[in-house]
Amino acid sequence: MAHAATHDHHDDHHGAPKNFFVRWCMSTNHKDIGTLYLVFSLLMFFIGGSFAMVIRAELFKPGMQLVQPYFFNEMTTMHALVMIFGAVMPAFVGLGNWMIPLMIGAPDMALPRMNNLSFWILPFAFALLLSTLFMAGGGPAGGWTLYPPLSLQTDSLAYVVFAVHLMGISSIMGAINIIATILNMRAPGMDLLKMPVFVWSWLITAFLLIAVMPVLAGAVTMLLTDKYFGTSFFNAGGGGDPVLFQHIFWFFGHPEVYIMILPAFGIISEIIPTFSRKPIFGYKAMVFAIASIAFLSFIVWAHHMFAVGLPLGAEIFFMYATMLIAVPTGVKVFNWVSTMWGGSMTFETPMLFAVAFVILFTIGGFSGLMLALVPADFQYHDSYFVVAHFHYVLVTGAIFAIIAATYYWLPKWTGHMYSEFWGKVHFWNSVIWVNVLFFPQHFLGLAGMPRRIPDYNVAFANFNMISSIGGFLFGASQLIFLGVIVHAVWFSRKKATDRVWEGAKGLEWTVPSPAPYHTFELPPVIHDEELAHGHVED
Amino acid sequence: MNQQLTETEQAARLKRARRTAYAVAAIAVAVFLFSILQMLWISK
Repeated sequence: MAHAATHDHHDDHHGAPKNFFVRWCMSTNHKDIGTLYLVFSLLMFFIGGSFAMVIRAELFKPGMQLVQPYFFNEMTTMHALVMIFGAVMPAFVGLGNWMIPLMIGAPDMALPRMNNLSFWILPFAFALLLSTLFMAGGGPAGGWTLYPPLSLQTDSLAYVVFAVHLMGISSIMGAINIIATILNMRAPGMDLLKMPVFVWSWLITAFLLIAVMPVLAGAVTMLLTDKYFGTSFFNAGGGGDPVLFQHIFWFFGHPEVYIMILPAFGIISEIIPTFSRKPIFGYKAMVFAIASIAFLSFIVWAHHMFAVGLPLGAEIFFMYATMLIAVPTGVKVFNWVSTMWGGSMTFETPMLFAVAFVILFTIGGFSGLMLALVPADFQYHDSYFVVAHFHYVLVTGAIFAIIAATYYWLPKWTGHMYSEFWGKVHFWNSVIWVNVLFFPQHFLGLAGMPRRIPDYNVAFANFNMISSIGGFLFGASQLIFLGVIVHAVWFSRKKATDRVWEGAKGLEWTVPSPAPYHTFELPPVIHDEELAHGHVED
Repeated sequence: MNQQLTETEQAARLKRARRTAYAVAAIAVAVFLFSILQMLWISK
């Protein structure tokens, strides 16, 4: 394995520009750009979270309480757009930027200048998007799906479409960089089937991004021409069809769901072996399961549209195709459990979040299976059951994985240990309140409460109040997370060792903590037994 | 222990990376154009 980086005179803490502007605005260093992505993502997480607080405050009691209905709709729309494109996706790109070169023994990303550009597009995109809230006609309020004809009524549609284009360009450039890096910059001996599962998950995710982000760009461009240039792609009055937009949107939208969860699978596949002190169970099966999920994600989009009146044959096809995803997902869940089985487990904060991910993401998966059933979906469609489902997948799935990854790699990034006590306080508060927040929403949905409404029948009052209390406390719990990070970065006196975790394996743990500004300028030698997943039979 | 890459090998690696990036970017552009063409065709 690579001992080299530790002793190599090329790999030192020097080399970072002293000038703040030059270092952070003109950086081409994968670690700095990774940090920028992660900080941006954290900021967006709190902005998107504050929108969620407005939503839960309004829904605390039946009746109109705090905000006007249009503003409420703006909040639901912006919450989703900010969390999906501003928080979750940039967080994964940040983690990929930081960790992929370290994990494959590369000195940097393959295209460092494009890396800088793909990050710096994002702040402008989100400034543009968020500025629409202050415009005369208001921001987008038709939901993140931007369905016409509702979205065409938004005065600021041009700004929203331009912001979506910018986010898409940023994502595509990030994906190109990741593919070019993984396929060309691996250290000699780091064969594809020796790569960490996290790297595999990102390679497959990057191909998903390349395949679907341009489709979203095409769809929103046509929204724009429908509104401003007199076309009728989605206007039934002019010979178009609004359902066409739904097909195109969900052809992007469903793989997008996997773009937000496959890197999470990769993270969990790194953390569980470390704290179980065992190689991952079924490495190849894990990789093929990710690839299978990615393939299936392209042929299930219409399960979001069962209620529009699809032909029966199409409904049956999309129902079975959707249910099929449970097979590779089940492989992953069973392999995580098998990795833990008989392991010498300890429960530091990253592992607690990883175990919670396995359990709670599976709950989200099961409710997804329920939604896949056409006859049942007619009841659940557009209800709070759907809201509960995707928040279990995205909050206790994607966001818990991002938090787990932050605790796992923070000592490597900063060179300091975070406070394990406060990490655990954060975990227990998060895991309790997130369930108080989202579990009652299943009952609300089954009882018939529609999503995206600011007022509701008094019959739904109790569960909504419980959900809102859970929401406020879950939101407040994330301030603990912020505190733990600030403490670890600036105030912690406990130095991290190079390997940090006793059971950690892989190239990233062979470099010093904090990781030097330049690493692996000379490629390391790969020894199979030191890889995170052990020796893989050919 | 480290492995030394010669300058030629490093240059070849970066050239391959650039070629990969162009190929993937071309796919992205093609998907964008195809999605618009597809909708033009359906809308006829």
